[in-house]
Formats: sequence, structure tokens, C-alpha cells
Amino acid sequence: MIIAQDRCQGCAKCVPYCPVDAIISFKRDKAKGIAAHAIINSDECVECGACYRAKVCETDAFVRDVLPYPRVLRQLFSDPWFSHPGTDIPGRGTEEMKTNEVTGRFWDGYIGIGLEFGRPGVGCRLKETERAFQRLLPLGFVLEPKNPLTQLIADPKTGALKPEAREEKVLSAIVEGIVPLDKAAHAFEIIKELANEIDTVFSLDVIGKVARDGNIPVREAMRAAGFTPSAAGKTNVGLGRPLFEKHE
Amino acid sequence: MTHTLHRKGEAHDFGDDHVLLAMAATGITHKGSAETKRKMFEILAKHPHVNCGDVKTGSLFNSDFESIRAGFQDTSVLHFVFPDKETVVRVLEDLKAADLGLSVVITGLFDDTQAACQKSGLPMHTVEYSGGILGKTERLAPNGVLEITTMCGHGLVAANLVLELVKQVRARRKTCAAAAAELAAPCLCGIFNPKRAERLLAKLV
Repeated sequence: MIIAQDRCQGCAKCVPYCPVDAIISFKRDKAKGIAAHAIINSDECVECGACYRAKVCETDAFVRDVLPYPRVLRQLFSDPWFSHPGTDIPGRGTEEMKTNEVTGRFWDGYIGIGLEFGRPGVGCRLKETERAFQRLLPLGFVLEPKNPLTQLIADPKTGALKPEAREEKVLSAIVEGIVPLDKAAHAFEIIKELANEIDTVFSLDVIGKVARDGNIPVREAMRAAGFTPSAAGKTNVGLGRPLFEKHE
Repeated sequence: MTHTLHRKGEAHDFGDDHVLLAMAATGITHKGSAETKRKMFEILAKHPHVNCGDVKTGSLFNSDFESIRAGFQDTSVLHFVFPDKETVVRVLEDLKAADLGLSVVITGLFDDTQAACQKSGLPMHTVEYSGGILGKTERLAPNGVLEITTMCGHGLVAANLVLELVKQVRARRKTCAAAAAELAAPCLCGIFNPKRAERLLAKLV
């Protein structure tokens, strides 16, 4: 995203719409002959499109070009208008538990874990997720193959990303996978340590199937590890068809 | 794509915030599902709601009802926000009866969703919890602001926009309701709850 300088009037109405503070406005400086204007810090911009869609620019100064690779990664992770070619769904994530009764992605005896780097509202360089891969993969953390971040991994053993992707900044990117429930305690310990090893934030997602007796093993695993399961969250109510069990 | 998770707030603060998401399973049931989503949309739209939408066509606050209804594609993800748990019960009863085959996820207090599932005769099949925010949390916006911005799980509602609108409400240039509607606009999916935002804005002002 750029702001066309020949159109920008320097009103600064667009500035608060940027989720990552990447729009910089300059007041008129008569002595230096500088007109009021705004620019986008392209290094910090995550190409989410929020400024463009805000439609507060009276002179249509926002210009959205087709982005070259690897810069387009910012857009694919940050702007839900665009679907990643590897997932075919909008945004940075996957269907995860939303269609689980049909896909069988998360089943009894497993725990799904997502670390949403950069969320909420901080953003991250993609390279910051590598530490999570390095720490979790030796545990047997099985990565979600349809996740767009998984698809950027150059070395599946270490989780090192493709070099050209590492410096790209996004609103968020999700380290997503599953481990057997008996490894949940170890995974949660690693996650606590990771929190002290990174320069951004991450939101922790924990997914599990509800047992036939109504028990929720992943909730107990969270508590045992010292995490407080949220009072509000997501529930798949099993309406999707065909059910995974039927074509196992 | 856990965009309806991680809505920040105290447990007692989610009584008017119940999000429904519906979609087909990509590669399994998504082909030809646009018409099914339209049928589900007609069912859901009869119930009281404060927002709805699909990321491709937008929400009630950046598009319009007819465009949303006409815009479903096989890859669309349908969202509604309902203002009370009683409506969720009636919605689930209707969806169970309609048996459309789309996957449905309810985001809200687990106690409320569990009760709604029991009353409507549906199972809690799979659940997803937030384990909180970890790392450099000193870089986060203040809690009162996050309670509003996290209602857009894609992070498109900027903390600075909340602060700017709070200023405008304090200066009596805007009502909380008008400011909440402005905050709902950047959220493309229609999962932002403007009524809750209005309430939270009043606390910030």
C-alpha cells in the first residue's frame, strides 16, 4: 500500500485506522516548503488493507498495487479479503475445529494447539515463529499441512522458514498442530518458556474433542499445566455432514 | 482462522455476545454449498441479530443485507452475532430441524452454549479454548481497548481508532452508538458486536 503524494492533502484522517501504526503524518512546514502529507512506513505496513477500505480519504490517495513475492505474504496473512492458495479459505488460518465433525482433524486422545503470533494488534515478523517450531517439533508436534505458515517451512526438521519470508511482517501467523494428550503437559511447559523467548505476543488456542461422556480432556490438561481455560470460546455443535465417523 | 476466539473480557461481560459461524468442509462438502448457505442465512436472519456477514461480501456495517444474501459462494463462511442466549437456543433448534449439513460453531460463554446444546438436542462435538495472551504483553493496548478490538479476530479494528472515537464521544461530536458502528466497519466478517462495543465505549468515556 502506498499513499500517492500528488493526491494526499495531509488531513491525517486515515492515521487511526492502521492497526500497526504504519501511517505517518507530517504537518505543513512553511519554512522548509513542505506541505502537510502522510506516508506509509512500508517496512511496518502489513498490507492488511484497513486504510484503503476505511474510505476516509477524500482524494482517493491510497494505491493498492499487485504485490510481488515475498511481500505478497504480508497480504495473504493479514488481509482476509485474500485467500491463501494453499488453504482456499480467507485469512491466515485453516478450518481447524470448525468442520471437525466432518474432517476428523482433531480426534480422541489428541490436543490441538495454535500459537497466534502477533495477535492481538502487535504483529510479528514471520521469523519470530521459528522459535516455536524449533521448540515444539522435537516433541512430536504434528504441523497442520494446510496452514499457510507450515507451507513456508524450508526445513521440516528444524522449522526454519524460507529465507525470503523471514523478515516479512504480518498481523498474525499461526503455528498450528496437534500432539497426543499424554504430551500436552510437556507442550504447555514449552509454550510457557517460549513466552519469555520472543519479541512479540501470541494468543494460545487449545482444541479438543468432547468425550462421549461429556468430559473435556483438553480442559483438564490446560488446568493441570497451570493455564486457565477461557470461560468463553468456540463449540462445534456437530451439525456438519457427512460425519467423519461414518466414512472412517 | 480462529477469528471468533480470544474476545477479551470478564466472564460476566459476554451475556450479549453469541457468535455463530457456518461453513462447509473444504474439499469434502464445499462444492455446491453456496445455495445451502443462502438457505441457512434465511433461517438465521429471522432471529434477532446485531451483525452478520461473510468476509467476501462484508457485514451489515460495510455492506448491506441484500448484498450479503446474494453474495454467497462455495467458499463463503457465514457469520451472525446474536444478542442473547435464548436466541441461540431457538437458532440451534431451527438448524437441527433444517438439517442442512453445514458445520456450525457457536462462540460465547461455554456454560451458555452447553445449555443451548442440551435444550436443542445437539452435541458439543469439539471445543476450542483461549489460553490467554503470552509474550511481550507490555506491547498490548490497554485492556478496555482490547475488549473492543478483539471482537475483530483478524485484527482490523485498530486500537488508535478506538482511542480517537473515545475522544470524539467525550467531545460530544459523536454518540457511543455511532462510534460503535464506525468500529464495526473495518471487521469484514460481521463478527464484531456493535451493541457490546457501545456498552464498552461508554465505560471508556
